[in-house]
Amino acid sequence: MRRIESSINTASAEFRRNEAHNRRLVAEFREKQEAARHLRPPRDLDRLARQKKLTPRQRIEKLLDPGTPFLELSSLAANMAYGGEAPSASSIVGIGIVSGREVVVRADDPTVKGGAWYPLTAKKIVRALDIAMENRLPVVHLCDSAGGFLQLQSQVFPDRYMAGRIFRNQSLLSKMGVKQLSLVFGHCTAGGAYIPGLSDYSVIVRGTGAVFLGGPPLVKAATGEDVSVEDLGGAEMHTSVSGTCDYPADSEEHAIAIGREIVSQWDRSERWALQREAPEDPFYDPQDIYGIVPDDIKKAFDMREIIARMVDGSRFHEYQPNYGTTLVCGYANIWGYKVGILANNGVLFNDSSLKGAHFIELCNQNNTPLVFLQNITGYMVGREYERRGITKDGAKMIMAQSCSRVPKFTVMCNGSFGAGNYGMCGRAFDGRFLFAWPNHQIGVMGGDQAANTLAEVKANQMKRAGGTVDQAAVDQVWEETRKAYQEQLSAYYSTSELWDDGIIDPVDTRNALAVALSASLNAPLGPPGYGVFRF
Amino acid sequence: MTFKIMIDGQVHGVAILARRPHLIVEIGGHRYRVEDLCDGRSGPQSLRIDGQPVAFTRAPGAGGGVDVRLDGRTYEARPFDPAAEAAASGAGSDRVRAPMPGAVVVVHKQAGDAVRRGEAIITIESMKLQMALAAPRDGLLAEVAVREGDVFDKDAVLARLQPAAEER
Repeated sequence: MRRIESSINTASAEFRRNEAHNRRLVAEFREKQEAARHLRPPRDLDRLARQKKLTPRQRIEKLLDPGTPFLELSSLAANMAYGGEAPSASSIVGIGIVSGREVVVRADDPTVKGGAWYPLTAKKIVRALDIAMENRLPVVHLCDSAGGFLQLQSQVFPDRYMAGRIFRNQSLLSKMGVKQLSLVFGHCTAGGAYIPGLSDYSVIVRGTGAVFLGGPPLVKAATGEDVSVEDLGGAEMHTSVSGTCDYPADSEEHAIAIGREIVSQWDRSERWALQREAPEDPFYDPQDIYGIVPDDIKKAFDMREIIARMVDGSRFHEYQPNYGTTLVCGYANIWGYKVGILANNGVLFNDSSLKGAHFIELCNQNNTPLVFLQNITGYMVGREYERRGITKDGAKMIMAQSCSRVPKFTVMCNGSFGAGNYGMCGRAFDGRFLFAWPNHQIGVMGGDQAANTLAEVKANQMKRAGGTVDQAAVDQVWEETRKAYQEQLSAYYSTSELWDDGIIDPVDTRNALAVALSASLNAPLGPPGYGVFRF
Repeated sequence: MTFKIMIDGQVHGVAILARRPHLIVEIGGHRYRVEDLCDGRSGPQSLRIDGQPVAFTRAPGAGGGVDVRLDGRTYEARPFDPAAEAAASGAGSDRVRAPMPGAVVVVHKQAGDAVRRGEAIITIESMKLQMALAAPRDGLLAEVAVREGDVFDKDAVLARLQPAAEER
């Protein structure tokens, strides 16, 4: 494959300006991430120390094989919810290596409200188990949770994708033959008790670990029975009487050591044979990305320059370089793994949509995973394009993409607006992983466009009703819409709501994709075939 | 498989007709049998061509090529890449076309200006997106066909470079 010839002048004023802007955004992201990971009220940390408990991050560190990468997902989940009081949605999720096996690690965070599950905690756990199912990755649960956050029970408990889904996913994982281990460090209360209950293996720590459907206060209220935690659901009782847990441990370190030994017994799943070359660093420095992505979302940039800083040797075999040029398609390798890349270089036209659909079919035929690099304002609009069938050509791209049998990965490199999000494998299309850059914005349209549209609708309503337009009221609609959009368009809102698997530093994209690609190989390819393409 | 190799500025076509049991190549209509191939490392090497032993010294050369010292002379040999050849000639890339319909925001360069590959000539706006249209190669601008505020259709030619042949 041929190396991309970069046209970027790293000494230009524009490059410097962009670089300063994007480095500031990344620094801001790092600061938020650091706080979400480590900043806790001393009161909560003191309590943990008194109980002789490790923090969840210390537990994870001791669990993972030394010197191996850990890809943390959605570290800023819930950063804009609940007044910021549930950092990382009080749950840590990531992909790491335990006893030589790729696993999903999922840990409750007892430093936040005793590890209680907020609505977004449930969403994050369900997503973690979806990842385990889609990629056939075993799961290690590090349990220490007070149970559902009772003040918000209506958003945690009843609906299809709420807490119940966690236990449904656990059951299906087991049916698929994907193993699960629970290490019970603290309480597993109410529904949370089913996490060890539905795991294939469980270890429970003496003195601090406990599993019960109702804790002592609830039992007292329900039946009047007075019972201690230890007696009701402690390690001794569950490992010698009920058989709900398998192994007692004398300390957290002991539990982790037993857990690592259990994982080392597990058979390794058969990975499918994706074409792989010897990995090679990009020829161009990935740090250049900071100077390439503009300081204004309205300014376009050549996505080839990003690809050149993401793929092995900056080599890219571009497919149809002269057709449908607003969508760049081609083959490359990431840490040796063969991928097919689709990247936006402008709005999607009829030809670029057809090219995208065709290239997706080629990748499905060639067993090549798809990587979507989004910077999309949408499909082209207007009379001429509707007459040429822009809707049905976009539909072909969506059809080919939705029905793909190869794993799909999406990176939100800048804007993601309108239907372009669909064709380019947005969140709804079950990509294996979706990462976003800190500069990312997402919405059905931009803030200005939405404000203009709704202001016009308001003015028209007034005209129909009485004939006079109250300009102040129209301006208010404009102002309010724009403000609401501005907040909700940001990458932080998006990641807070778990519309992605986390914000990443653009420079880390290549490494994050490599971990994701490697994980995806554990699951067999999906069934071939598509629905009806409208020609 | 055929490839081209440039030796001291002269391009030669080399066809590989067989690799086993020994290498047979065709150069300039003549076939050669090559045996006892060297290991491709630098330093003194030898091989046999049509049964005759040939001794030479090789060293890494410029542009991914090798320098070969043979019979008291040094030859510069480098692989000749048809894709690089096509890119360098810049064929078919004199025109800067509109990738989408829109309006001109800024005109950065005028006819007669020298531009480098990747340098912005015009910035356009379309579908809320500003895009700099860049020179497809190094060259002289023959024409900038639009002014700030002009609107245009997709594929309209907005600027032209002087054809490469005229510049020489």
